[in-house]
Amino acid sequence: MSFLKEHRATATSLGLFVAALFWSVTCQPLAAQEHNGQQLVTASLVADTTAIVPGKPFRLGLHLRMAPDWHVYWQNPGDAGLDTTFHLHLPEGFQVSPMAWPLPQRFVEAGDIQVYAYNEETLLIITVTPPPTLSDSVEIKANASWLVCKVSCIPGQADLAITLPIAAEASQANAELFAKYEALLPSSEPPPFDVQWTPTPTGWNLGLRKLPTEASRVEFFPYANDDVSPGPSESREIVEGHADLSIPIAQSAPVRGVIALENGERRGWIVASTTASAEPRESLAPAAAAAAPATSFWTFLAFAFIGGFILNLMPCVLPVISLKIFGFMRQAGDSRASILKHGLAFIAGIFVWFLGLAAIVVGLKAAGSEVTWAFQFQNPWFNFTIGAIIFVFALNLFGVFEIVLPGRAASGLAEAAGRSGLSGSFAQGILATLLATPCTAPFLGTALGFAFSRSPAVIFAIFAAVAAGMGFPYILLSAKPGWMKYLPKPGTWMERLKQFMGFPLIATLLWLLYVIGQQRGTEAVIWALASYLFLGLAVWLYGAFLGPLSSLRTKTLATLSILASLAVGLGYFAGQLFAATAATQPTKSATTSTDGIPWVPFSQNALDKLLAEGHAVFLDFTADWCITCKFNEKTAINTPAVRKALKRLNIVPMKADWTNANPEITRKLAQFGRVGVPFYVFYPAGKSRDPIILPELLTEQIVLRVLDATHP
Amino acid sequence: MIKHFLHPILLLTTILLLAPITHAAPEIGQSAPDFTVIDSDGHTHHLADYRGKFVVLEWLNHGCPFVAKHYDSGHMQALQKKYTDAGVVWLSIISSKPGSQGHATPKEANQTKAEKKSAATAILLDESGTVGRLYAAKVTPHMFIINPEGVLVYAGGIDDKRSTDVADIATAKNYVAQALDEALAGNSITKPTSQPYGCSIKY
Repeated sequence: MSFLKEHRATATSLGLFVAALFWSVTCQPLAAQEHNGQQLVTASLVADTTAIVPGKPFRLGLHLRMAPDWHVYWQNPGDAGLDTTFHLHLPEGFQVSPMAWPLPQRFVEAGDIQVYAYNEETLLIITVTPPPTLSDSVEIKANASWLVCKVSCIPGQADLAITLPIAAEASQANAELFAKYEALLPSSEPPPFDVQWTPTPTGWNLGLRKLPTEASRVEFFPYANDDVSPGPSESREIVEGHADLSIPIAQSAPVRGVIALENGERRGWIVASTTASAEPRESLAPAAAAAAPATSFWTFLAFAFIGGFILNLMPCVLPVISLKIFGFMRQAGDSRASILKHGLAFIAGIFVWFLGLAAIVVGLKAAGSEVTWAFQFQNPWFNFTIGAIIFVFALNLFGVFEIVLPGRAASGLAEAAGRSGLSGSFAQGILATLLATPCTAPFLGTALGFAFSRSPAVIFAIFAAVAAGMGFPYILLSAKPGWMKYLPKPGTWMERLKQFMGFPLIATLLWLLYVIGQQRGTEAVIWALASYLFLGLAVWLYGAFLGPLSSLRTKTLATLSILASLAVGLGYFAGQLFAATAATQPTKSATTSTDGIPWVPFSQNALDKLLAEGHAVFLDFTADWCITCKFNEKTAINTPAVRKALKRLNIVPMKADWTNANPEITRKLAQFGRVGVPFYVFYPAGKSRDPIILPELLTEQIVLRVLDATHP
Repeated sequence: MIKHFLHPILLLTTILLLAPITHAAPEIGQSAPDFTVIDSDGHTHHLADYRGKFVVLEWLNHGCPFVAKHYDSGHMQALQKKYTDAGVVWLSIISSKPGSQGHATPKEANQTKAEKKSAATAILLDESGTVGRLYAAKVTPHMFIINPEGVLVYAGGIDDKRSTDVADIATAKNYVAQALDEALAGNSITKPTSQPYGCSIKY
């Protein structure tokens, strides 16, 4: 190839070159790579010493200087290119270290091709340990090869040599050059900030915490892997000492690499991920000795536990909490042993629910579905069924029916939960947790992100930890029932309280119907209500006419009427009419929103287009069944100040509505290592800027600061 | 369903239009994205028309030293000859944009084809980069193999020696040849992905 014509100058006689071209006192054999008359790369071999002191290590560097806009490659060249090589040929008795690579730069080319390379100049360093006895001078030969690219790529190579005298003492040479690149060598010490590796469906999330607040950017450069190499890594701005980098790699295979932090100067640390693929036990140990303090399995268990505890305080659990307190109060009159038994039964219910959920997740994962937290609320049938259970439970509290035969468990979860026996406590535990799932508490999000990409055993462990966290207050109260003596004594007011408890349940039902309405429209709500009406009739018939004192004739008639009601309610209204309603357009709630923010519905294409056009985008992942999302929108997003800031800074508000299952949104969440909502990302204007992730619990100040601070 | 009303060509156009902004790489075991491209002789190639045959996609740029390694040694041509003789469709694709290195007019492409004695079935001219982006092709030579059912069965580099040195070909393990041999013998492919290496595609 004609343009590959290059002239390789190998200089063995030094003096002329040194005198004519270079400033250093050391011998500088050098070679230049030329292309079409342009000198692309000048390679020289430099030492950090004027002489070799026997037994005393010194450093040799391959000093490469590139023509403007040309680059040579780092040890992992990235998507294209070739790593630079540097080999020394030493007399016997000399020992050499592996080559040390200073931090590279990231270059992104059209087609999302990302390479890690050096422009301008670089110094690749090898430490040489000479033998303890030497005489005369030593000639060290070196061979280097590289691929230098601008748009086209040209391979180059050089045979270099340097002769160093032997002396008892030596002074420093090229001190400035070595110091400059020494500072850019990544350290194998743990970095002075927190590093958390979280497996995600697409690879890893590298969470960096407690970064110096004055630091501006952080990047990750992955080392090459034989089989599966990490995809394009990221560079991110640091917000409040936090940064999250996503590292795409198949099956969350182990990753090693360098974190580069820009804080006035650039510095780097070598880190390694935990191993994701192996059995859970192995995930406790960092993959390499040089690994950063990776967040261990136990930390995630702790997060899961705390998250489970917080679930008790979530608004969607409150109605059931009041029921449970009521239950404990009623039990306070019983013996201690009985209270403890009820408490344990309740907790068993919590565990069974979460472990059941874990089993479903493991099963679905195995089936290859995209499974995400609170996914069950995306299914209108799930919402319908929970609504039915809550409605029947409320009727029970109102006194429409009593469970006459505690032994007959066939009547279902709701009725079981209404009972006061151990099985009732057990069922209440299940119901309480069932209602808690849509509230992804912040800690829980992290723990679940971890769990979903893990092995089944870890998923079970995480869910068990959530269950333990949620059950913790009840373990305490039933183990120390003494604390309940401060609770009011039982009396006739309890019946009133019980009836009153039906109202919060009806309120919960309203919320579920709202979600159904968002998913399937008004008709679906009407058919669900009609179905509940007949369900209500059925349980009233059951309560009124199926008592133990009823005659056989009454019982037969009542049973037939119940079956008829159920047939109409469940068979016709639910099975026919409700089932026939179609999912509303996922974008509907976004476009018809009356909240004063001109939301653009999310799609990957629309987002890519907006970003390509240079717009800043605020992306809100939300769902109607997510109360935290609604709370954030009300208090921190849809406020006059934020509305004004969006308009003033010309930021496009985009909403990813996950009320109904939407694989595109699920994938986008997965890109950020998330499996649930709420989730907020801000893409600053300008293609090169990386997205900023906002916390799950927002305040107006946080939103304004992020939107404002990143405005150019 | 809307699908019933979509003429296949309309669907294809949609895919091609969306392709430049879709970054998701095709996955092994999934159907290979369809495309329609004109070759250096002006013939139209529609991937779906090759159902029933193995198809090799080879990203090509004769200005790239990695590609030169495989062509100057005659190694790539030998592979093309061997497997097209066995009934494999071998498509070399040029995705360099006009004005970029490696871009070729139909005439230039035919010239180099003759010069290099390429034995590929056709040289496809993808100057818009549509097909390249559709496959998330990053480098030349980036290699893909599609089985007779239209499923992507291999994606990655041509071999395991990331270099521009011709001498390395002798000791390298050629993943494409290995995959084709296995697939043609009716066996499963032991190495369905590898790290591609080469020059970036000049989109």
